[in-house]
Amino acid sequence: MAAESPSSARKVVVHLRATGDAPILKQAKFKILGTDKFAKVIDFLRRQLHRDTLFVYVNSAFSPNPDELVIDLYDNFGFDGKLVVNYACSMAWG
Amino acid sequence: MDVLHWDGTLSAKDFRIGAFAFAQKWESCNLAFPPWSWLPCPKHPWLAPPEEEGYLSLEKICISRPNEEEDIDQISQIDTGEEETCCSRNEDILDDATLVQSNHHELHYCDFHIVYSSTFRVPVLYFRAYCSDGRPLPLDEIEKELPACASKELSKKWTFITQEEHPYLKRPWYKLHPCGTAEWMKLLFLSDTANPKFEVVLELYLLSWFSVVGQVFGLRISFKISN
Repeated sequence: MAAESPSSARKVVVHLRATGDAPILKQAKFKILGTDKFAKVIDFLRRQLHRDTLFVYVNSAFSPNPDELVIDLYDNFGFDGKLVVNYACSMAWG
Repeated sequence: MDVLHWDGTLSAKDFRIGAFAFAQKWESCNLAFPPWSWLPCPKHPWLAPPEEEGYLSLEKICISRPNEEEDIDQISQIDTGEEETCCSRNEDILDDATLVQSNHHELHYCDFHIVYSSTFRVPVLYFRAYCSDGRPLPLDEIEKELPACASKELSKKWTFITQEEHPYLKRPWYKLHPCGTAEWMKLLFLSDTANPKFEVVLELYLLSWFSVVGQVFGLRISFKISN
């Protein structure tokens, strides 16, 4: 749906916010293409934090599927011109 | 209750309230799937169970991976091959042997039950998978059907699969282990800038929980449902 609309070509500001005792990033805001998948945000966080086990979610207590498009997430969960993405590092569960 | 000091767990009564809220939202927004139904637990003749005991059920969901294009190519290649070799027709007429196909292109189905764990005080996803003829699928075959990102998530230990007796049906089912659930459920709600009331949390609890565990099976929730 969104892939065909012209709005998907625009960039989305993603604000990465640490929760729990996760480390805070030096650069917490960045732009990403709306046509990119949410998986790209997760991979970026993994690389930045050097942690494999990450728990990533948006507001409204919702954890999006990695295959979702960033623009779709922005349209549904974004406000003030940005998409807030929360992340937490896990304790060794299991 | 103050959500800041909440430990991420639910009471059995809360689970029932949350389960009904979830099933209702699911039905109104998630048109791609059939509705969840609430099944009251079977009553023991000598024990009067609490009214709220029961579980949510969503059955016969097709989980086969949609990689049909490649598969069709392969099938047509195999078919043409057979035509060439099948020239001795007369002999074959009396052959009543049945070919049991271990066919990778067969559709696989999954049943999901959301059961309350009184030990961990959180919902637990129980599941089993089977072929269209009813033959149960072993775990290694189920894992082949799961989306690639799911096995990645599982290996990161947000949860893991174990086999256990279904608490109500008393048959072996698989489940996603709930030992981390309360921790990450707490995180999900703490992130909200506004400190929500517990009633609001309860309303969303199963939906938030399912947005995480559903990913293991590639079950996507429509965004509409969470707004």
